Amino acid sequence: MSYLILACTGLDKPEGSVAREVALRLAEEAGAEIVCPVSLNRTPARYKRALAEKRLVVVDGCATQCGGKLAASVGAKPVHKVVVSRMIKESGTTLPPDLRLGSEVLELARRIADEIDLVATGGSRETTGETQAATRVEFQVASDFVVVVHDKYEFRIPSTGYLFNANDVWVQVAGNRARIGISDYMQQRLSDITYVNPPKIGASVDQFDEAGTVESTKATFEVVSPVSGTVVGINDAVFDAPESINEDPYGSWVAELELTAWEEDRALLVNGPAYAADVERKAAED
Amino acid sequence: MEKERDTVLVMPCSGVGKVHGLISREAAYLAVDELAPRTLDLVCLALLVREDEETLAKVKAYPCITIDGCGKACAQKNVEIAGGQVATAFQVAKALSKQRATQPGTGSELTEDGWMVTREIAEAVAEEVDRRCAYKEVT
Repeated sequence: MSYLILACTGLDKPEGSVAREVALRLAEEAGAEIVCPVSLNRTPARYKRALAEKRLVVVDGCATQCGGKLAASVGAKPVHKVVVSRMIKESGTTLPPDLRLGSEVLELARRIADEIDLVATGGSRETTGETQAATRVEFQVASDFVVVVHDKYEFRIPSTGYLFNANDVWVQVAGNRARIGISDYMQQRLSDITYVNPPKIGASVDQFDEAGTVESTKATFEVVSPVSGTVVGINDAVFDAPESINEDPYGSWVAELELTAWEEDRALLVNGPAYAADVERKAAED
Repeated sequence: MEKERDTVLVMPCSGVGKVHGLISREAAYLAVDELAPRTLDLVCLALLVREDEETLAKVKAYPCITIDGCGKACAQKNVEIAGGQVATAFQVAKALSKQRATQPGTGSELTEDGWMVTREIAEAVAEEVDRRCAYKEVT
């Protein structure tokens, strides 16, 4: 599955050199197509068709996030965004003072490239074309809701398409993929959400394991995963704008997983109307 | 103050993944790191097109030598669009053609031919810096 890489040009900072190295590896070893940030900025029409047809991954060197901002400015929606400086910090790697990368940093670049390839291809690089097509799934937007009214509050719950665990976390399944997020009831209890700490890409999660946390002005909420699987994507949009969970809890997914035990997991989840009954009971007890 | 007066910028094209872009970048590094380290200041084209304030201010304040990979001349054009002064504009494609260097390498690795052209461009950049600084001293 070919995809697009929009990378920081990485001219004058070591973090940028890593971003550039990642892009080169993905182009040479995974067949990704590099999008020139300068051309995209000046002549976006040149990439219009490719952006419409292929997945886009953004690799930025530093927190300036030129690539991410550029993608947003042309209306592109990356499936994955990486900020190298954050990954360097997390890995404890020391960058050289100059722009030439040593073996330790090159190894980190390789790991970042592997992770990106996993997300961009849905882990299907080793599978057949038929399977690859099957992993390109669409998640439906919730349109029909059950509304639970309690005092001055209204809690919306999608009637169909979403399942819930007892921990107020929803899951939406399409093919062998699932997206998880927190319910309207829980986001209202948390109030203003200020930070999302997503799970790590590539992490293996069992049902009821923690899959990240959501912090608000009132509390920190552990996202208890409703399903077992491997984390293949995180939603950078909620990382960048945590308040989007308050605004659209069922559109603002936190993590995407490749399912590993769906049939077993399914038995411990409830549908929208059943969860609405739970919410009614919880609200009365609050 | 002396250093500030003699500052000249060098801006290669972004060119990730193409040999022309790699040569422009390596030529800029060579010029900045080895041939004219006290005078040359490296500036990033992507930051300029994103209208980064610091980069815009530099480009407006100092003459800029651009090293473009190909005839699209992204670096040269964008310096001009930003209201900067292009001191000299180099193009890797022309240099390769002039040297008949048909096998310069790939987007990630240069051959001997590629490095030869890289050094020639870097030396030409350094000569331009010398010329401009000498001119300043006379005037």
